[in-house]
Amino acid sequence: MNAAPWLATLTALSRHRGVLGTLLVSERDGLAVESMVQIGVNAETVAALAASLHRKARLASAAAGYGGVHFVRLDAERGHVLAAGRDDLLFVVISESRANTGLLRVELIRAAAGLA
Amino acid sequence: MSIVNYAAREITCKIVYYGPGRSGKTTNLHYIYGQVPAERRGQMVSLATQTDRTLFFDFLPLDLGTISGFTTRFQLYTVPGQVYYATTRNLVLQGADGVVFVADSQRRQLAENIESLQDLHANLASQGVDARTVPLVLQYNKQDLPREMIMDASELDDELNFRGVPAHVGDALHGRGVFETLRGISELVLRKLTATADAGAGR
Amino acid sequence: MKAAVDAWVEEPLLRFVRDARVRLALVLEASGRVLAQHGFTRSVDVMSACALAAAIQASSAELGRQLDGAPFGSLHHDGSDRQLFLGAITTPGGLHLLLAVFDDATSIGLVRLYFGELRGRLAAAAPARVASDAVTPALDEHFERDLDLNLARLFGRL
Repeated sequence: MNAAPWLATLTALSRHRGVLGTLLVSERDGLAVESMVQIGVNAETVAALAASLHRKARLASAAAGYGGVHFVRLDAERGHVLAAGRDDLLFVVISESRANTGLLRVELIRAAAGLA
Repeated sequence: MSIVNYAAREITCKIVYYGPGRSGKTTNLHYIYGQVPAERRGQMVSLATQTDRTLFFDFLPLDLGTISGFTTRFQLYTVPGQVYYATTRNLVLQGADGVVFVADSQRRQLAENIESLQDLHANLASQGVDARTVPLVLQYNKQDLPREMIMDASELDDELNFRGVPAHVGDALHGRGVFETLRGISELVLRKLTATADAGAGR
Repeated sequence: MKAAVDAWVEEPLLRFVRDARVRLALVLEASGRVLAQHGFTRSVDVMSACALAAAIQASSAELGRQLDGAPFGSLHHDGSDRQLFLGAITTPGGLHLLLAVFDDATSIGLVRLYFGELRGRLAAAAPARVASDAVTPALDEHFERDLDLNLARLFGRL
């Protein structure tokens, strides 16, 4: 697969205030297809854990009868993990607490729609 | 090298069936597989070509039961016999506790037998192993073929058994000699363990 | 079936199995000797898996050496409903291998992530290789009696 079309999306997401890294991840494999992360951020670890998180959310939503998952947000002590995807691919953003998560949510959902 | 777990009182030994292509190495394992109850053996692993020629190795784990208080398991391997599988033969031979050399008794296969025996010794040497210290048993297979086609045991001894190791005639396809060969190499391997233990204890 | 042949492997392996959510796992020496296992029910099946894993590692390492002088690292096979991971672990005691089989309850990314942690724990816990791996059992001098009896039973001659 050619990840070049997604680089522009990752680049745009990376420019938001407080964003530490953006990734395109395969949910099934937990591997990063493409990533742009700051020094100190382990892209492989983020990809694996974010994919697992999204998968669990997806399965839980399906089991509860709520259908597919549009957006996943994890709020932690020092930041956020945000993910939105379609089929097997996810856009993942990790950010500091000061990031504008509302704006990132909109951009991620729009980006995920572009994965069709 | 034999694997010993004192805590669990388990011994595991690796036996490699060596020899030229189509001499009957895999046939030996097939016969053993067919004779031994399922609960005392594993699935036979055969990494082979579509024409049933061993590609990498055959493998058969056997549970021999308790011997002198130790649960004893043997791992039986064969190697591919064709000349061009030299690298994989060397890999499979590593760590062998005993070797069964399966010779093809057909007169026309004498050169292949000799070449394979030399190959065995060369591989052991390349691994830093003194071949004289490795328990070895010869099986002169295909003794069921017409007399005019084969060499008898004494002829084969003259040509192959320069170490004077135990030799067994065999017809692996019909099971003749397979048990005796396995018993022979088992005894040698286990005796070597005992001898080493005695030496270590200063007995 | 007992989880660990060698005690120092047991806790790290169980933690790996729990974190990575694999179905089957083996830690073995590069020679094929099993150190610990999870998910197997028969020792002869463990032996077969170890033999195959050791062979895969040996052949891929040899292939790497023949190609450019360096053995390859980990290996991943992607199947239709199960996947296989084989990774090398260097410890003071020598080269060890992890064989893990997993399904869609986890991912290769997670398996690799926790394999990295397992590798560190095993490297820290492993004893240095003891020369007396060659220490041998004191088999009874009449071991042939047991051998003959057991072989005869195996081959249905009793």
